[in-house]
Amino acid sequence: MLQIRVQGRGGQGAQMAGEVLAITYFREGKYVQAFSSYGGARRGTPVSTFIRVDTEPVRERCDIIEPDAIVCFDPSLLSPALMSGAGPDTVILINSTRAPEQFADMGDHRFATLDALAVAQKNGVGRFVNSAILGAFAKVMGSPDVEFLAEVVRDVSPARKNENAAAVLDGYQMVRIKGEEGSGLVAAVATSAGAEGASA
Amino acid sequence: MSMDTSNITVTSGQSCMPPVQEGDTRMLLTGNHAVAYGAMLARPQVVPIYPITPQTPIAEKISDLQLSGEFDVDLMTAESEHSAMCACVTASLTGVRVFTATASQGLLLMHEMLHYAAGARAPIVMAEVNRTLGSPWGFWPDQSDSLSQRDTSWIQYYCESGQESLDTVIQAFKVAEQVNLPAMVVHEAFYISHALEPVVVPSQERVDRYLPPFNPEHRLDPLINESWGAVVNQDMYYRHRKELTESMALVAERSIQADAEYQELFGRSYGIIERYRMDDADLAIVGFGAMCGTSRVAVDALRAAGLQVGLLKIKLFNPFPTEHVRAAIAGIPKLMVIERNVSPGIGGVLAQTLKANLYGMKDAPTVHSYLAGVGGLNVPSRLIEELAKKAMADEPVAESLWQR
Repeated sequence: MLQIRVQGRGGQGAQMAGEVLAITYFREGKYVQAFSSYGGARRGTPVSTFIRVDTEPVRERCDIIEPDAIVCFDPSLLSPALMSGAGPDTVILINSTRAPEQFADMGDHRFATLDALAVAQKNGVGRFVNSAILGAFAKVMGSPDVEFLAEVVRDVSPARKNENAAAVLDGYQMVRIKGEEGSGLVAAVATSAGAEGASA
Repeated sequence: MSMDTSNITVTSGQSCMPPVQEGDTRMLLTGNHAVAYGAMLARPQVVPIYPITPQTPIAEKISDLQLSGEFDVDLMTAESEHSAMCACVTASLTGVRVFTATASQGLLLMHEMLHYAAGARAPIVMAEVNRTLGSPWGFWPDQSDSLSQRDTSWIQYYCESGQESLDTVIQAFKVAEQVNLPAMVVHEAFYISHALEPVVVPSQERVDRYLPPFNPEHRLDPLINESWGAVVNQDMYYRHRKELTESMALVAERSIQADAEYQELFGRSYGIIERYRMDDADLAIVGFGAMCGTSRVAVDALRAAGLQVGLLKIKLFNPFPTEHVRAAIAGIPKLMVIERNVSPGIGGVLAQTLKANLYGMKDAPTVHSYLAGVGGLNVPSRLIEELAKKAMADEPVAESLWQR
C-alpha cells in the first residue's frame, strides 16, 4: 500500500491536490481512499489530506501515521508531529525556494523541493501551486505517470485547464531531489522544451 | 471547493478492481455522495432537509442530481432540522417515500419529532453522519449523537464504508416499509463521510426490481377519511406501544432477508452482524462503524503473530440482535468493545448494551470496554492491537476505560 499525506493550509489547494492524486490512481485501476481533516474550513488553517493506494480494497479508517510520502505546501507546517512518522525511505516534498539539502537537519529523509509558486506564475495559474507540486510528486515517487497525471489535471481543473496541465509537466522537471546532480536540472534537460529558461 | 468526480471511471485496461455488473457504474465517490446516490436510486418523492456539517454534501449532491434531471424529487429546504423532520412525518403519512439526512446538533434538534415519527409509524429513512456534540464545538467523528437517540424507536444501522452506506439506504427502505418504523443509516464524519473511494452505483432498473413503490395500507387522504394524531386513552396508548415494540422485534429477521435478496441481485451483503476470523478466537473485538475496517487490519496482524483474535461487527444496533450476537460469540471467553462515544455515568454505549444483552447467558464471556477515538481521536490499527493484548492479559472491570 502506498500511503501519502498532503499538508497545506486552507485555500492553498492541498485538498484538491490529494483528490487529483486519488482520481489519477483510481483511473489507473487502483483502489484508493482519500480524505481530509481540517479545523474550521477557513483560509489559512492547516489541512491534512490522507491518500491510500493499493491493489486490494483499503480497509483502514484512520489517519496515516507512517507515510511513504509527505507533500508539504508550506515549510512552516513541517512540525515535529508531522515528521514523527517519517523514516529514511519517506519522501518529503516541500514547496520551497530552498535546496533540499537545506532541510537535512530535520532528519534522515528523502527531501525534495520545488519553487512551486515560480512554476505556477510562469504557467499563468497565479498563486495556485498544487498542479506544479503534483508534477514534482510524480517525478520524486516515480508514479503516477506524469503525462497521465497532466491529462487528469486538465480534465478536472475548474479553470485554466491547459495552464494547469503545463504546470504539472513543469513541476515534474523543476523539482530538486536531495543528492541528485543538478537538483532537478537533470530532469529538465531530459524532458520537453516547455521548462527551459524557467527559474527554479 | 470540491470537484465533481461522479463522471470519473477507470480508463486503464489493467484494473485491480473486478468488473461491475451490466448497468452498474463504478465511481469515485465520498461516503456522503454515495448516500445521495443510494437515496436517488430508492426513488423517494420527498426529501425535506436542512444542511449541517458534515452532512451537507448529501444535501448538495441531492440538489445537483435534482438540477441535472436525474432525481425527480420534491426537495424541501426547511428552516431547521425540527421543521425538516416535521415535514418528513407528514409527507410520509400521505403515503409517499421520504428520505432525509442530518448530523450532530441537527439530530438533537429533531429529537422530539424522532419519537413522533416512530409513533406515527412513518417509515422514513434518514442518513446520519456522526459528529461530536457541543459544547465544546467540534466537527469530529463521534457516535454520541446517534447513540443518544437510541430510545426514539428508530432502527439504527452503522456502516463501515461509502459502499455499505449506499447499499444500506436502499435496504433500509425495504425493511422500514415492511415494519412501518423509521430507520437511520449511520456513518462517521470524515473517515467515511468525506472519504473518496471507489463505489459501485447499481443500475436503477435492478434497484426498482428490489424496491417496489411504497404503497401503504393507511395514508392521510381527505377522500378516504384517515387521520393521525388524535388523543388516545391509556389502553390505546398501551396497545400502540406494544404493537410498535412487536414490529421492532421483526427488524432483525427482515433485515437479514432484505440483505439476502440484495446479495442475489447486486452481489453484495453485510448481514446484521458479521463474524470476521472468529474461529477458535480467545478474544473477540466487538465494534461498529468505521473502526471495524481498521480492526480487520489489527485482527490480521494479531493472527499473524499467533494470537487467536477475531472481530464481531455490529451493523444493526437497534433493535439489538441479542440472539444473533449470543450465537456469534458462543464459546469465546473474552470480548473487547472499542467505541468512539461516551455516555458519562454509563460509559461506552455499545459495551453497556452488549452486557445487558448477555445477562443470563450460560457461560457468558467477560467484557472489556475501551473508549477509543472519542472526540474523533485517531485510532490506528496498532492501538487496537495493543488494546487486544491488554484485554487478553487483564482482568475485566465494570467501567469503561479511556484509551489513546
